Amino acid sequence: MGKYLLKRLLHGAFSAICVVLIVMILIYSLLDRSTILAGDPNYSKIQSNARVSYEQSRYETFGYTDYVPYSDYITQLARDGEIDDETRSSAVLLGRTPDRDSEISAEYVAKFTEYYTSRGYTITRLDADTKSNGQVKSGGQTALFATRDKPLINRAITYFTNMLFIDNIHYVPDEVDIGKRGLTFTLYDPVKNPEGSDKKVFSPAIIGNGTLHKYLLYIDGTFPYIHQNLLTLNLGESYTVNRGTDVFTTMTDSQGSYVLKPTTFPTGLKEDSADDLHTATYSAGAREGNSVYADRFTDDYANVRTYKTGMSKLGFSFVIGIISTILAYFLGLPIGLLMALRKDKLIDKIGTIYIMFIIAVPSLAYIFLFKSVGGKLFGLPTLFNVDSKDKWMFVLPIISLALPSIANLMKWMRRYMIDQMNSDYVKFARSGGLSEGEIFTKHIWKNAAIPIVHGIPGSIIFAMTGAIITERVYSVPGAGNLLTQAINKYDNSVIVGVTLFYAVLSVISLILGDILMSTVDPRISFSTKGR
Amino acid sequence: MEEKIKELGLSEEELFAPVDHSLAESEKITAPRYSYWKSVFRVFFRNKVNIVILGLLVFMILFAYIYPTLVEYDPYANLLDPNSKHLSPSAAMAYFGRNIHWILGAGASGEPTFDAIWNGSRISISLAIICGAINMTVGVLVGAVWGFSKKVDAFMMEVYNIVGNVPTILIISVLAMLFSPTFWTMVFALTVVGWIGIAYFIRTQVIIIRDREYNLASRCLGTSTVKIAMKNILPFMTSVIVTLLATEIPSYISYEVFLAYIGMGMSDMSLGRLIYAAEGAMVTPGWEFEFWSPVAIASVITVVLYVVGQNLGDASDPRTHM
Repeated sequence: MGKYLLKRLLHGAFSAICVVLIVMILIYSLLDRSTILAGDPNYSKIQSNARVSYEQSRYETFGYTDYVPYSDYITQLARDGEIDDETRSSAVLLGRTPDRDSEISAEYVAKFTEYYTSRGYTITRLDADTKSNGQVKSGGQTALFATRDKPLINRAITYFTNMLFIDNIHYVPDEVDIGKRGLTFTLYDPVKNPEGSDKKVFSPAIIGNGTLHKYLLYIDGTFPYIHQNLLTLNLGESYTVNRGTDVFTTMTDSQGSYVLKPTTFPTGLKEDSADDLHTATYSAGAREGNSVYADRFTDDYANVRTYKTGMSKLGFSFVIGIISTILAYFLGLPIGLLMALRKDKLIDKIGTIYIMFIIAVPSLAYIFLFKSVGGKLFGLPTLFNVDSKDKWMFVLPIISLALPSIANLMKWMRRYMIDQMNSDYVKFARSGGLSEGEIFTKHIWKNAAIPIVHGIPGSIIFAMTGAIITERVYSVPGAGNLLTQAINKYDNSVIVGVTLFYAVLSVISLILGDILMSTVDPRISFSTKGR
Repeated sequence: MEEKIKELGLSEEELFAPVDHSLAESEKITAPRYSYWKSVFRVFFRNKVNIVILGLLVFMILFAYIYPTLVEYDPYANLLDPNSKHLSPSAAMAYFGRNIHWILGAGASGEPTFDAIWNGSRISISLAIICGAINMTVGVLVGAVWGFSKKVDAFMMEVYNIVGNVPTILIISVLAMLFSPTFWTMVFALTVVGWIGIAYFIRTQVIIIRDREYNLASRCLGTSTVKIAMKNILPFMTSVIVTLLATEIPSYISYEVFLAYIGMGMSDMSLGRLIYAAEGAMVTPGWEFEFWSPVAIASVITVVLYVVGQNLGDASDPRTHM
């Protein structure tokens, strides 16, 4: 069994990698990249050469290309200590045309060209755009840059190698003086035991210096109580949907308005704040020139997440999804059973009409129907409000999600039951003198439930990815719309991240389904070879 | 006894004349000739409900195709008339006069809702039928090969596992952005990966039937694979294929509505686009007709298609022909 599972998992991982590759080809190679500029308000304001440079820098931020402007190259040289400040300032100035470059800049332009051409970049030089009187137009300064389309294989390899981030004490660049690097273990978490407090609160924590996260392991009052930051998942950084945040964080971060709590900052400053000090991450030079940070933090671990009232995207989707899934199983299976037992009677006919309605009618139509019926006749809230504590707003989305799955389960349960009822072993059991009740509970039901059981892990896992239409219609801030949102906003890394997330979930749910099926039915075995 | 024979008034020879015995004649089966499709339709039309629903379906399709060609429909004809927008049926009829165009009121740019929904139905039904035809043809053919060959099976399972995990919405939106979102782009987007699900379904069905005893016997007798496929398996599959078709065609209409609603639909004013465009009208008192009429017509079309298909699928199962 273990060997088989390992094989399945590897197989699943292979499929997931292929899916990511296909998605990368789709979005990075096939799509016209200039569409990202269509909705960009800055783009239309910039003119001439600056516009071309801006275009290139946007392509880089959206992950299409590598883009190095000449000035960045010179600055990098200066930073590495290869050239002094004086050379830098004269080398960075470009003439209006190549032959009007100064000697020193011509030298570095040649170096720049050679260095990046050898690495497969294309060098573009745009001569100064001048008006008829010889003045340079606004944005028309000479531009020189190197660009290169990111090769698919490189992109995929970097994506997968960067996916798991293990926090280490060399995260902060070595030249930064951050004090003694290392991990310290404490039994008294400094967040809960600010300096000067009288009683000590026992709360173990691992604190890092030189790492990305300050608190690598800590305990607090929110689920799942023990939190770790040693290993973080990096599915892709969002650019437009939730700027600068990882896809996974976007899905799991709480939403809504801030929750203010009395907080004592490391400097001893006390105020009501929504900052969650446990989530502090390193942000280079945070305190320099920012008095808000300087007043509160004693080191550069100043980038914190905040406490918010609402659940995360996954949380909302999961709560709605899981309740509707449970409802569906508790209602769909018994009704399906009853339909099979009373075949061709009234209840079977009503059930069939209901199943037909759900399958045939576009889902959009019946969700809108539920919405208007629920809103007008029962006075239920039809729109979601993240900050509200009202439990009633969950009712309509749950019903809208549950009713179609009930129909689906009813359909299959009825089908499997009727198939089993007509099989030979049932006739044999009847001729052997078993009562109908015994046949039913000991034979038919057990056999009919096997294919149903296979789908249970999948429906639980996919409860958290949310449903596109339901969440849109009721404006639920869930995870279902993340993919469509990312597609509409050209947020390429989010598209890749979400797709990978879905692919992994579907692989896991299939494997779990198989395991569950083989535990329920001992006849099904994956470890022995088929006869 | 003898008296009774005398009553018949026949001579002894006539009563016991030997009958000619023909070998060829004795081979003939006297049962009525069985035609598969005739039986299918006999069973289908035996249920009176089916006749009504089929009539409704034919009427709707004909209406959707003929009505828009008879009337000139220009959605922007009344664009400049501020009084013509968002009219309820009674207001529209009072404003434009009593005729069939205005029985469902007027839409956001003063267009007759009735004309708009039939125009939209024509586009949606065309889309569904074309996509259904392409996907079913490719899916059934590939599925048959997939089910028969073990080598193809191993390869296709990989393809299925991978392609099945690429979100369809993504493929459709990429294609819609690559080409302009026209009707034919939509057909391409829905068919480029749509066939694979059908092929997988058919594959499973073929595998179930392929290893049945009668096929094993047939193979032992030396029947060629093509003949087994055509004569032994295809007849079994007919009802499955018809039932599948019954769920597929309406599902394209529903899917188009869904795509249009999330803003990834085509540019033509199909039913989905009409629903999407009128979403805001749902909650505005007096404008409800704009929203609910395309929703209702889409539902009616899909339900009718589904019911006809399901019942035809039931009728095409030879076990119901008794």
